[in-house]
Amino acid sequence: MMTEQLPDEMELATAAHVKYIQSLDTKKDEYDYWLTEHLRLNGLYWGLTGLHLMGHEDALPRPETVDFVLSCQHENGGFGAAPGHDAHMLYTVSAVQILVMVDALDELETRGPGKAKVGQFISSLQNPSTGIFAGDEWGEEDTRFLYGALNALSLLGMTSLVNIDKAVEYVVACGNFDGGYGVRPGAESHAGQILTCVTSLAIAGRLDLVDIDKLGRWLSERQLPCGGLNGRPEKREDVCYSWWVLASIEIIGRTHWIDKEKLVHFILECQDTESGGLSDRPNNMVDVWHTCFGIAGLSLLNYPGLAPVDPVYFRYALPVPTMTQMGLDIFAVSETPVKPGPRVEYVFLRCINSPVSSEWKE
Amino acid sequence: MASHGVARTTGPRTEERRKQDLQKIDKYRALEDGIREEVSNKTYSPKTFQLTTKLLELNPEYYTIWNARRRCLTSGLLSRPSASSSRSRGLSSGSPTNTSSTSYADALSSSSAATTPLDPAPRTTGRSGTTADEAAEDKKYSNEKENLEKDVGFLKEELVWTARLLKGFPKCYWIWNYRLWLLGEATKRFPVPTSRRIWENELALVSQMLTKDNRNFHAWGYRRFVVGALEREELGGKSMAESEFEYTTKMIHWSLSNFSAWHNRSKLIPRLLGERGADDKKRQKFLDAELDLVREALNVGPEDQSLWYYHQFLILNLINDVKQATIVPNITVEQKSEYVQREIDDIKDFLEDYDDIKWIYEALLEYTLALAKLESREATTSEKEDLKTWLTKLRELDPMRKGRWDDVEKEYGLN
Repeated sequence: MMTEQLPDEMELATAAHVKYIQSLDTKKDEYDYWLTEHLRLNGLYWGLTGLHLMGHEDALPRPETVDFVLSCQHENGGFGAAPGHDAHMLYTVSAVQILVMVDALDELETRGPGKAKVGQFISSLQNPSTGIFAGDEWGEEDTRFLYGALNALSLLGMTSLVNIDKAVEYVVACGNFDGGYGVRPGAESHAGQILTCVTSLAIAGRLDLVDIDKLGRWLSERQLPCGGLNGRPEKREDVCYSWWVLASIEIIGRTHWIDKEKLVHFILECQDTESGGLSDRPNNMVDVWHTCFGIAGLSLLNYPGLAPVDPVYFRYALPVPTMTQMGLDIFAVSETPVKPGPRVEYVFLRCINSPVSSEWKE
Repeated sequence: MASHGVARTTGPRTEERRKQDLQKIDKYRALEDGIREEVSNKTYSPKTFQLTTKLLELNPEYYTIWNARRRCLTSGLLSRPSASSSRSRGLSSGSPTNTSSTSYADALSSSSAATTPLDPAPRTTGRSGTTADEAAEDKKYSNEKENLEKDVGFLKEELVWTARLLKGFPKCYWIWNYRLWLLGEATKRFPVPTSRRIWENELALVSQMLTKDNRNFHAWGYRRFVVGALEREELGGKSMAESEFEYTTKMIHWSLSNFSAWHNRSKLIPRLLGERGADDKKRQKFLDAELDLVREALNVGPEDQSLWYYHQFLILNLINDVKQATIVPNITVEQKSEYVQREIDDIKDFLEDYDDIKWIYEALLEYTLALAKLESREATTSEKEDLKTWLTKLRELDPMRKGRWDDVEKEYGLN
């Protein structure tokens, strides 16, 4: 990475971004703050992940973080987006991810209905006949939820609660001729959905089912002349695909098939260096989602000064002691391309975890 | 919280804007509090329902409010089907533990036993003997009929209202979800012709949405779901592969870059040929026509990725590299070679008009390697020379993917 060649404005404005993330919960006099309450727990997860990657994990107070997470939990074990919001897979996964990130999983036992209840909530959402997961009791099914379920259950050490083979079967049925995956069997390949499917297969230890060359080609074609990545053919670039595409291509060991420097440049161009935060494209409105995924993308690209990020679980790689405590292997970003075959296993030996986006719009 | 395509504004808010925001917040939070109070008392009344309308018009992303609205519908706004009615099957219990049985697909199939009672509920005539019983039966029957009409009217209004919301928020997952849930309820509750008409209107709506944004992947996914429903026997349906195939043709002619349409086409073809009972000759003719279609399009727009992906689909399908049913399952290796060779030759012709389009070189490279593999041989000396030339062009035209070209060079010994 030739960061010394980047002009000043082309460096990551870490201080501004930390301040931006810290300021997010102080904007209660803005209408948008209330309109986005349904994303609060995800937002906290995105913000915290960004802070951890930038080495400012203490920038948000831990006790309040844990209190807030637990205040979103329902008796059935599931979590809503904020107090008073219904339980849903998307927020339950974020809750588990946050508690793991701040090393507070035990608080589920001491202050909540217990870890087992959380596992039960998630596993009850699997459709036993097809293997897919629903988001909540109303039955919307999506590979986003399947990935979220496997991610959270694996963090909780409870994957035995669900039928992994059936889940794998479902993911395989979502595959397309171009090597990509769609939201359901029959649906068009989409970078966001590809990430959920590839990470699910990684967690299940079944990356052998991925057509690595074909998928690698498709993913590498997502890079546009501006350096940014799009999510489908003939669509525009967007910073959040710096995560969906990049993490997928990293997992299959083909990151060297894109121009990393150009992508770094594009992500940095999307910063608001004064007020902090990153946006989908240069000079657009920033938000915590693009901030988090932009920084995570930079971390995968080995941008200096950032903590490494795990492409499967979408979490910053935990410091060694914590990882050892959890009995999980450590993740180190590999410079050398991972070839298909036994070596790709490296990704799921690590603690497994994920982004669970709430949505993608392109 | 996730802004897409909104220009960055600079500077702090004006005081006036801040005041406006505070007013909006007050109104919004009062509305929210109102609903929360009703919900915490489990009061799913018409009043609660009205409040959800107001809030969702301000913020359709608020999934909890959609759930409250569903509960209003199942807790009294829609009639409670009698225990004897076949329509009572599979109602959402509202209990989180029952989740897996309430998926949309399940909702549809759980109604499979309820084939076409044009009457709201089958009448049990001949069983009861007394006049009083008959009068009671008649009353029950007319009540159910009235309820049914009310329910149909109500659900239709819901569909009209959510369609209006979708126009403002075409990519809001929760609106699409709620609509599917409504359709599931309609299927469970209504006689087949009524449900079917509702699903048919849905197809019209989704076509309209796709006219506005022909790549909206929510809309395409929704379309496949609606078509899947309309094809089901319990809705009096039959395969729509032909008409859907025609739809993709229409969308492609409208915009050749619409990969969503090409994709859908690729998924429909195996079924289409199966249903046509196409013999080997017809299948080959079909393949020829598809190749002609995409080749002609490529001749006009060789920089269009969508077209190359579809071309790739046809070739991969031909050389049997796809796991799905193929277009031409019974042709010989010689015939396959001929096809691939002809495509290679035709693509080479493109170079006369376009020598700076990387896709052309990529296709030539890939298909030439595929041809050698198909014929179980190494690339010939002259092929190798071509491959090297094309690879050099690719490095020149597409330096961003240098790592990929390095790998190809190494793998096939093209240095």
